[in-house]
Amino acid sequence: MRIVCPFCGERELGEFTYLGDAKPVRPAAGASEDEVFDYVYLRDNVAGETSEYWYHGGGCRTWLKIARNTLTHEISSVEPAAGAGAAKVGA
Amino acid sequence: MAGGQTNRLDSGGLIDRSAPLNFRFDGKTFSGFQGDTLASALIANGVKLVGRSFKYHRPRGILTAGSEEPNALVELRTGARREPNTKATTAELYEGLEAASQNRWPSLRHDVMSVNQLFAPIFVAGFYYKTFMWPAKFWEAVYEPAIRRAAGLGRAAGVADPDHYDKAWAHCDVLVAGSGPAGLAAALAAGRSGARVILCEEDFSPGGRLLSDGGTIEGLPAAEWLSRTLAELATLPDVRIMTRTTLFGVYDGGTYGAIERVNDHLPSPPEHQVRQRLWRIVARRCVVAAGAIERPIVFAGNDTPSVMMASAMRTYVARYAATPAKRIALFTNNEDGWRTVEIALGAGLQIAAVIDARPDVSPAHRSLASKGGFPVLHGSVSGVDGGKDGVKKIAVSLTGGARAEVEADGLAVSGGWNPAVGLTSYHRGRPKWLDDIAAFVPDGAPPGMVAVGAANGAFGLGACLAQGFAAGSAAAHDAGHSGKAGTAPVADDEAFSLTPLWHVAGKGKAFVDYQHDVTASDIELAQREGFESVEHLKRYTTLGMATDQGKTSNVAGLAIMAAVSGRSIPETGTTIYRPPYVPVAIGAFAGHHRDETFHATRLTPSHHWAAEQGAVFVDTGLWKRAQWYPRAGEKDWLESVTREVSAVRGGVGFCDVSTLGKIDVHGADAGAFLDRVYINTFSNLAVGKARYGLMLREDGMVYDDGTTSRLAEDHYFLTTTTAKAGLVMQHLEFCRQVLFPELDVQLTSVSDQWAQFSIAGPKTRDLLKEIVDPAEDLSNEGFPFMGAREVRLRGGIKARLFRISFSGEMAFEISVPARFGDAMARNLMLAGAPFGVTPYGTEALGVMRVEKGHIAGPELSGTTTAADLGLGKMMSTKKDFIGRVMAGREALVAPDRQVVVGIKPVDKARRLRSGAHIIPKGQTPGPGNDQGYVTSVCFSPTSDQWIGLGLVERGRERMGEIVHAHDPLRGEDYDVELCNPVFYDPDGGRQRG
Amino acid sequence: MAEFSWVSRSPLEHALAPGAHGARGVEAGVSLTEIRNFDLIQVMARRGKAAELARVANGRFGVATPNAPTVVQAQDATLIWSGPDQFFVLSKGGKHTMDTLAPALSGPASLSDQSHARALVRISGARARTMLAKLSSIDLHPSAFPIGAAAATSIDHTSVTLWRGGDRPDGQAVFNLLVFSTFAGSLWHTMLDAAAEYGVTIAHSEELA
Repeated sequence: MRIVCPFCGERELGEFTYLGDAKPVRPAAGASEDEVFDYVYLRDNVAGETSEYWYHGGGCRTWLKIARNTLTHEISSVEPAAGAGAAKVGA
Repeated sequence: MAGGQTNRLDSGGLIDRSAPLNFRFDGKTFSGFQGDTLASALIANGVKLVGRSFKYHRPRGILTAGSEEPNALVELRTGARREPNTKATTAELYEGLEAASQNRWPSLRHDVMSVNQLFAPIFVAGFYYKTFMWPAKFWEAVYEPAIRRAAGLGRAAGVADPDHYDKAWAHCDVLVAGSGPAGLAAALAAGRSGARVILCEEDFSPGGRLLSDGGTIEGLPAAEWLSRTLAELATLPDVRIMTRTTLFGVYDGGTYGAIERVNDHLPSPPEHQVRQRLWRIVARRCVVAAGAIERPIVFAGNDTPSVMMASAMRTYVARYAATPAKRIALFTNNEDGWRTVEIALGAGLQIAAVIDARPDVSPAHRSLASKGGFPVLHGSVSGVDGGKDGVKKIAVSLTGGARAEVEADGLAVSGGWNPAVGLTSYHRGRPKWLDDIAAFVPDGAPPGMVAVGAANGAFGLGACLAQGFAAGSAAAHDAGHSGKAGTAPVADDEAFSLTPLWHVAGKGKAFVDYQHDVTASDIELAQREGFESVEHLKRYTTLGMATDQGKTSNVAGLAIMAAVSGRSIPETGTTIYRPPYVPVAIGAFAGHHRDETFHATRLTPSHHWAAEQGAVFVDTGLWKRAQWYPRAGEKDWLESVTREVSAVRGGVGFCDVSTLGKIDVHGADAGAFLDRVYINTFSNLAVGKARYGLMLREDGMVYDDGTTSRLAEDHYFLTTTTAKAGLVMQHLEFCRQVLFPELDVQLTSVSDQWAQFSIAGPKTRDLLKEIVDPAEDLSNEGFPFMGAREVRLRGGIKARLFRISFSGEMAFEISVPARFGDAMARNLMLAGAPFGVTPYGTEALGVMRVEKGHIAGPELSGTTTAADLGLGKMMSTKKDFIGRVMAGREALVAPDRQVVVGIKPVDKARRLRSGAHIIPKGQTPGPGNDQGYVTSVCFSPTSDQWIGLGLVERGRERMGEIVHAHDPLRGEDYDVELCNPVFYDPDGGRQRG
Repeated sequence: MAEFSWVSRSPLEHALAPGAHGARGVEAGVSLTEIRNFDLIQVMARRGKAAELARVANGRFGVATPNAPTVVQAQDATLIWSGPDQFFVLSKGGKHTMDTLAPALSGPASLSDQSHARALVRISGARARTMLAKLSSIDLHPSAFPIGAAAATSIDHTSVTLWRGGDRPDGQAVFNLLVFSTFAGSLWHTMLDAAAEYGVTIAHSEELA
């Protein structure tokens, strides 16, 4: 498998580490235990398009959000995490 | 005829008669020529019997001339290099080659185990599941060992492989599998277009069937076209032809696996060279020109030596000038089989008869028969009379019912051709059935791949060239190259004209899978017993599960299943194709990564100094760390470690702790960031101060711990445990980039920048004063406990000094740039000599941390909470942090959790062992009353007994209680006392003094 | 008071044996030279300040900083891309150290000294690419990895920085490899194993280019 890192270009799988589902969003401080439980534990087992976090730890150390089809392994998009590099986020 | 090579033609072939080679097979010496395979050389020497079959120990000969060979498997080489199940048909001959037949005892000709044939009824399909089911314990003790002795293939060497293997990457625009006419045409078109091309050929000579079948291309003899084409390809700088290289798999994203047999054709690899190399090839496009495999027809006695595939028969004659037989019969159901007759006649061999299963034979072949003086019999071979010396007589059932007999010493068989659909099917592709060639052809392929020529069901030479050229040109174009490819080479297409025939009914065993001894009747039995699905058929009969993966047998097996189950072949379907296409040595997958280079190794900055001191090293993760420093006269490790501990507690010692992960945390929001990743607060830490921090996972369990110092308003220096250094960096980057992207934080690993030493013991300050610039104030006031700042050392270099203690002693950690780490160790020895400075290793470090009740890896087990570790009060209630909410779950704050507590044996002389279970006193050990376990132990010189830490239910409330330590692994049971985990200096006066 | 000195020792000092290694009787196909005693500073833009860093750094170095996997040669430094909005400053002789760079760049950037955290190996020779193909999954064909190309990548599962410098006078390509110091000895042996069959010339140097 090969992933096109938005910064480094196409690289082999061994440079990347898979984390998991990129859909759950960390609840804000003050969230209930149930909300945090969902965030920590509950995942869909998708046959088809998924959104995943991968870490290019063997390269530029950027966290990537990857759209991948679990049936074909086809990767349709790779985006850097919001806070990759020095990107300004928020106000 | 060359000396002893009774079956070698005087001229012709692609062997080098000026380069004779001696070799041994089953202890007997033979000779062959450069350019031979072991199989062709054996044939040239008149050897017909080369092995015994898997289950029935039937005598077997050579069936094919390629990597699909099921029969002619040998043990190649001797001693540590002995390699079982090597195909004689692909093993290149070299001077001194030694090979032995397999699966026979005491000898190939007189094999005791051939009595298995008498018990054939119990070896039928599924015999594993039926015959030996009862009594159950007989399976392991009796049946399986007996079967394994009787049925089997070659023997592994049993000792370490002395050769080296490596792995390499290659990149190209167009990858071509196979160098037959289609592959060469593809490479030519792609190469001329300007593409980077890699052409893999498993044979040692490029050319594919051109080497055996000849033909005319562009009006030139095939051999001449081949040499011209290879010459042109050699002029193209970005075309690389890799012979002896099998493309064995296709993986996601256009990555392909190939195995190159770099030096298998030599007795042993030249010095500094590898035996085999595993290639990972990244290609934009792949043209599969892997050809087709001729398939047998299943009839009684079809496994008799010198029954051979028709194409293989003519390969031995034409390419190797070796004659498998003198008087050959051909059994064919297609026009292509007749080529063997043409080539055999051309070589002066006799044709006994052609048995053609088709209703009609072409006029050209009819006239060939009359000129050659041999009969053409319309019908099928129904039996073979012969044995280990080969075929003698062939029984023929003529169309219409009459019978005939043919005397011959060899039988060439052609049941048609199966395109090599492996590579195109490895992404769960299912090939489709093509009626006119009665074979499966690729139905699509993994992205970027296309099959051409025979691999695509186009068997004619003209079609191969045209398809290959067009695909090569298109692939280059797709990869962005638009140079002029010119026009495709032209040749005529030969007639194929096949009438399907799979199985001829008859008396005697008719083999489908030669290597696993699966017969037609096994398949019929499987069907009767309900194993009709091809996946069931495969597993029940083991059809296609041998090392050849059923290359010659699968389709015939399906066809027979289709016939007996009343379905069509496409309805019956194929099993799933999986890589590798040929067996690949595990050594090749490992490559460089074996023995001491199994993984990369990290050395601390003072490693070589420690080695000079005679340190004993221990592997911790990738690191080599000094474990202890033995001195002359010390009888064991414990004596050395005890000395080191006492030296620190009584004077001063130092230890290289550079293995800790070290991370620069910069940015305006660095403090706020740390507040979110640690359970305690760092934003209020003063510049010049250090603080111990604990991180949780989001599920509330402890993740890692370490000391973090604030070196400037916007700069913290964070340390991690040795084990988690990389993972914590990854976690922090996730927090920075994904969870809290609004914070201004930058993270840099500086683990390798700093050599860090712990200096500990009451004389630490005395030692440091010798090293540190006299202007620096190291007094308790000038450098209080948990102070952290840059200092200047004598001699001018800068260092970072941290007043932190893991040992419980007055201690500092000092960091210098890593290239000064070696000098630091030497200077500490020099400066500390007056104070008896003692280097100590990880064992003494561990002893002192257990004595002090500090947690480490065994307690940070991923199942412990901060409160379990006695650190619950560190959890801030004033801020959010990772793991905060989940750490509050009911079960994680339950009062009966197992928490860290001290443990010491009641009998002071007893040794405490980690892993021992804690059971209430007076109870019988069992899962129901297991209250925890001992996590860390040491012999404590300070306590003068073995002590430890453990995780024990409500441990902190039970200090003073006597409980039972149960150690079933070591068969030990003894009483221990639960106690304060801080065995040494519980007030902490020493480290603050 | 004890007499002691601060000798700087390269992490490869122990492993590196200058001279010939591997196959003999052939012209060495690979040349491995360790470059010692360099200054290496990691510069990372602070949030939202990538453009400001580029401007300030341009003023300091006289060249545009790399914003893609490339190296940029300044008069007295090599700027090597190391990730988005970050680069290394590689130099010699104290021209660009923490002490001199921090005052200039610490507004828009965070700096970390990595001078001791890496070993630098220069790889060249007729078989350099062949040997590197055993170590690196990167395509080093001249069309894919021209002079000035850089990559943050891995060798032996270990992070490295690889870039192509100017060709040797004889036209051979030159590859530069920054590896972590604590892994250097191990990776050095891996390189020697990969290169041995081609014949290796081993040396060390203090010269950056």
